[in-house]
Amino acid sequence: MEIASGVRIGPFEVFAPLQPAVSMVRHYGEHHFPGRLIVVEGIDGSGKSTQLSLLHKWLESKGYGVVFSEWNSSPLVKDTTKHGKKKKLLTPATFSLIHSTDFADRTERSILPLLKAGAVVLCDRYIYTAFARDVARGMDRAWVRELYAFAVKPAIAFYFRVPLETAIHRLLDGRDGFKFYEAGMDLNLADDSVESFRLFQGRILSEYEKMIPEFGLTVVDATLPIEIQQMQVRQIVKAHLDKAKELRVQA
Amino acid sequence: MRETYGRLLPEMRLGDLAGKLIVIEGTDGAGRSTQIDLLKPWLEELGHAVVDTGMTRSPLAGEGIRRAKEGNNLGRVTQALFYATDFVDRLENEIVPALRAGFIVLTDRYIYSLMARAIVRGMDPRWIRSIYSVALKPDAVFYLRLGIDQLLPRVVFSRGFDYWESGMDLYPGHDMFDSFCSYQAALLTEFDRLSAEFNFQMVDAAADSRTVCAHLQQNILHLLERDSRKNFMSRLYNDSTAAPQADDTAIYAVAAPAAAPTTNGNGHHPHATHHGQ
Repeated sequence: MEIASGVRIGPFEVFAPLQPAVSMVRHYGEHHFPGRLIVVEGIDGSGKSTQLSLLHKWLESKGYGVVFSEWNSSPLVKDTTKHGKKKKLLTPATFSLIHSTDFADRTERSILPLLKAGAVVLCDRYIYTAFARDVARGMDRAWVRELYAFAVKPAIAFYFRVPLETAIHRLLDGRDGFKFYEAGMDLNLADDSVESFRLFQGRILSEYEKMIPEFGLTVVDATLPIEIQQMQVRQIVKAHLDKAKELRVQA
Repeated sequence: MRETYGRLLPEMRLGDLAGKLIVIEGTDGAGRSTQIDLLKPWLEELGHAVVDTGMTRSPLAGEGIRRAKEGNNLGRVTQALFYATDFVDRLENEIVPALRAGFIVLTDRYIYSLMARAIVRGMDPRWIRSIYSVALKPDAVFYLRLGIDQLLPRVVFSRGFDYWESGMDLYPGHDMFDSFCSYQAALLTEFDRLSAEFNFQMVDAAADSRTVCAHLQQNILHLLERDSRKNFMSRLYNDSTAAPQADDTAIYAVAAPAAAPTTNGNGHHPHATHHGQ
């Protein structure tokens, strides 16, 4: 993929991992594409996907060109991930790498070109999901941040903060257990999938908490009623997009 | 004690990796797989258990990479990371267990080819080095070097030009030949740079395959003779008649090639450079 106007695509050009552990001095910069990238983060059961879908409909009704991209959905890579999960081939390291491969494909194939084209790109989960999960699986914090150094920095990253028990209640309402990797069963934390989920997601929550100041995540209280959360989200997004008039598809 | 290039993967213990990790590197068409096919039975004849591995052979990602390369939409960052996934899967599930069991691991390419390809495609060298900082330092890297002039006839008169070997993803608009020359020249430059940094033992791959093989065998024998287990065994048999003597060692005698096709990236004697990696 060629990027015009002298912006070289590739690691380190668009996004700066805020890492003191990385000793080399690099030239970091936020992207200058006309589009806007908005991402939602949070553990399973935080309600982030519901909020993003409501935001999506609202933005479309306002006439913005909106595109949605989901974690782990690259047409080129997702079969490999599925294969690895099904056969339980994944270690913490290859789990991390295959997800970064998926993310790289979506970045190169859709996120970057769409931002260049002036779209509002909505991502359900972003690099912070990888940072939280991979570190919870024992990967080196600095290594994982380096791995994703090619990512575009989002305009807004919402973090839907929810207590673990609330999330578990929401998730177990309607099914009786968790999937192998979702519950972190590969880490042998507990025999029972609910207990394993609790321990694993607890680690993930504490990683998210550390990332709030590190990456300036916008925290939303995900225990509030859905309508209240959505109102807050729309307010923040509106304030941001009003400054970006070139995004309007309709007059 | 074995080392990595800086970072350790979870659960990876380095203390008991008794085997030897031997890397055959080189550009496309340099004869790497021919050499591995010659070296493996030779080592087995000497009594060593051998595992050979190479790019895209992982159960996890090999098939996915092959499928992705059939199309025309595999991006550069994606490509680099897909190969890293394949590499780490083999590192954790194949290379490390084999070394732990005392095998000799012969690998057709290692992180150096992957780094060279990524760097030539515009990736930040520091980024790709950071990813591969989890790799094990090998016991030896033999770099089969072939200039473009020597490489061209091998390609033209055997398999013809390949889309990815010609770097067609890098030079859209070129024809296969021009693209091939530009891409392979860029790779060679990068390999030469890596050769100095990682102390490759350079082997002139233009020589005929038997000569190249004899040279590799000689160097591998030197490496194996330094093996601590062998030292232990020889101490054990110190003054015993059971010590492996003339007959046993005879198979270690390899005819030296007439003109040793060897120079090292730093101009050092190649045997002295194993430890410096």
